[in-house]
Amino acid sequence: MSANFAYANPADARPLRYEPSRDANGQRDPHQGAARSRPTRVEIVTTRAQRNARPKLAYSVVTIVSLFVIFAAQLLLSIVVSDGAYQLSGLQVQQKELLRTEQALLEQLQVLGSTQHLAANAAHLGMVPGSNPLYLDLATGAVSSAPGTADPLGCGGGCSMVANSLLNGVPLVDAASVAAQTAAVAPSSAQPAAVQAPAAQSVPSANPDVLPAPLTN
Amino acid sequence: MNTRRARLRISGMVLVVFLMVTVFVVRLVDIQVVRADELNAQSLEKRAQELVTYGVRGEIVDAHGAVLADSVERYDITVSPRASLARENAMGVIADGLARIAAVTQQNPDDLMAVILADPESDFEYLTQGVTLDTFRAVDALNIPWVYFELRNGRSYPNGEVAGNLVGFIGTDGPQAGVEYTEDACLASTDGVSVYEKGEDGVRIPGSEVTTREPTNGGTLRLTIDRDLQWWVQQRMEQAAQQLGATWATAVVIRVSDGNLMAVTDYPTVDPNNVDDAAREALGSVAFTTPYEPGSTIKVLTAASLLDAGVVSQDSQILAPYSVEFPGAGVISNAFYGPERLTLAGSLVESSNTATAGFSDLLAPEARHDYLAGFGFGEYTEVGFNGESSGTLYPASEWDRRTNYTVQFGQGMTATSVQMASAYQTLANGGVRMPVTLVEGCEWPDGTVTEVPPTEGTRVVSEAAARQTVEMMEMVATSSGSAPNLQIPGYRFAVKSGTAEVAEAGGYADNKVVLSYAGMAPAEDPLYAVVVTAGVNDRVFSGRIASTFRDVMAQTLTTFRVPPSTTPSPNLPLTW
Repeated sequence: MSANFAYANPADARPLRYEPSRDANGQRDPHQGAARSRPTRVEIVTTRAQRNARPKLAYSVVTIVSLFVIFAAQLLLSIVVSDGAYQLSGLQVQQKELLRTEQALLEQLQVLGSTQHLAANAAHLGMVPGSNPLYLDLATGAVSSAPGTADPLGCGGGCSMVANSLLNGVPLVDAASVAAQTAAVAPSSAQPAAVQAPAAQSVPSANPDVLPAPLTN
Repeated sequence: MNTRRARLRISGMVLVVFLMVTVFVVRLVDIQVVRADELNAQSLEKRAQELVTYGVRGEIVDAHGAVLADSVERYDITVSPRASLARENAMGVIADGLARIAAVTQQNPDDLMAVILADPESDFEYLTQGVTLDTFRAVDALNIPWVYFELRNGRSYPNGEVAGNLVGFIGTDGPQAGVEYTEDACLASTDGVSVYEKGEDGVRIPGSEVTTREPTNGGTLRLTIDRDLQWWVQQRMEQAAQQLGATWATAVVIRVSDGNLMAVTDYPTVDPNNVDDAAREALGSVAFTTPYEPGSTIKVLTAASLLDAGVVSQDSQILAPYSVEFPGAGVISNAFYGPERLTLAGSLVESSNTATAGFSDLLAPEARHDYLAGFGFGEYTEVGFNGESSGTLYPASEWDRRTNYTVQFGQGMTATSVQMASAYQTLANGGVRMPVTLVEGCEWPDGTVTEVPPTEGTRVVSEAAARQTVEMMEMVATSSGSAPNLQIPGYRFAVKSGTAEVAEAGGYADNKVVLSYAGMAPAEDPLYAVVVTAGVNDRVFSGRIASTFRDVMAQTLTTFRVPPSTTPSPNLPLTW
């Protein structure tokens, strides 16, 4: 049994509270005279503390409000999550597109970096295979010649005997535009040197039109 | 009475409620238990979207990582003729749309219209297939509602014909040739499947994605080939073949220390990007698949065998006239008249058939056969190339009296260019034959490497026999008739020529030869062996490709930065 209820034990000689049936004026109810011969009537009543502990309106309000708060929070959360889903899906599409672009550019790079394309461009720009490279032996200081690259066709890499259909329609570099680009880059890179040594006019400055290269044939 | 009616009413209500609850329970059990799977499946079908995720086929790269074959994304542009024709003013709209598509794809709009009109009821026809990303995006931007796109995986070979013979290609039914075919286990990817649930607007419901199968990417296949050397040799061989009018030409560059193939070229060859334009015989690699009677290049292997057996030395003497009749074997002749009193070294420099036949009698046929087999003839190489040939080396017991001699100078047996390169690698490597290797390994995304080639060599002849043979071959480079075309200033190298007759039905053809030059450099410590071969429908001699061999060898030495020789060539007596 819970101790929250006060009770009177019939066996107890001194019940907690014994109230013979009386009316408000303390007069005995005449109708109840017969009951007097019956065993003592015991009634469950609440203590003051228990009465104070009864649920109050505030509690129910708090409960209901917090329920609503929880529901609202959940709703908001799910809105945020699904909003995130849209964002995620948008970003995933974007990522896919960017990956595709990367793949396509990589593919292009590989084709442009193919041996045929490099060789043809080198020949187009007037480069020839190194016919007699030299070795310098660092241990002995001796210089010896290497066989070099034979060029029996006389066209360097420009013969395009080894086909590559991916290069169809891919233009060769334009020597004039390369020179123009070099010229455009050279002054800006030469700028700091010119600022630091403005007096050194007699020193041959970097001529943007001529690349520094040994004269070979 | 009142209470009784009330009770009846209550009983009635309870019964009704009970019946209703029963109906609900039955229905509930029916839906939740009995037909649960079926209904779940149905509902999932409405929401679930199956997504095939593609694995990517692996790359094929050369020894330095240059990409020879790569997977690329391509797009098919498809159309629904039914949907397009159902529109208002269909013909005008379609003609306008097709004209705009055709401008991007550079097709003829009339051809596209024909596709639509061919089957007006169809929901799926190709307008064009395999377009690149730029084209796809341009067409997609046109926003034509009855045009659809499909992603497909394509294959690109950025270097075209460079190593096209080795890499192979992929047809509509998958890999068709080369290592694309034989190494498919490494390269192949598997597609994955994932399922997600989508909302009404098609956006996937967060957290609903279930991957039922992960896609796996293929591994990266690394070849031993050097792309730039391969390109150079291919170009040089093509030029030589055109000058000679050769029907085919091959070149093989093999690294001596480990048997790795640095370059294997074929003429004609295939551009894997454009297989349709290639001749049928150009689709494979002749160097692996087509054996020929090698001719005199075998003589140095005979010499090495005899030296190893201890029955001859470099200066063993023999009398080798232009032609000799061997008992039971008929007359064996030389190609040229020359000095008759030859040493073993001289017999190689003069490429004397009669001298080689005479020396061969010093060793039993079985032993000579075993030496040839040891050099790798009659056996598939370790490469296992698609359609590879093992060549033919009959057992000694099946040699007739004439074959007993001819096999020692390369007639009556056949070999592929790669087998020849392997035999010369053996001589160059001090008599130890290394497994021929084309595939360096298969590198998986997780970093593991499989298909690592074997590295265990087998000794065929002694180191001394191999060294002495290379010395004699150096005399060919310095003293033979083609010597002027065989000089690489600063380098010593060893070589042997061969002009082989081509067997046809009923004998040898009069106007067909296989020219070859095979050798190694630097002679004092060989690092690379080279074999160049050309099939010519003409009566010409091997000297015609001597300069081709020299150029390929010189380029090999340059590419791999081999330092020049520092010691002088030997000078062995050739005659007595």
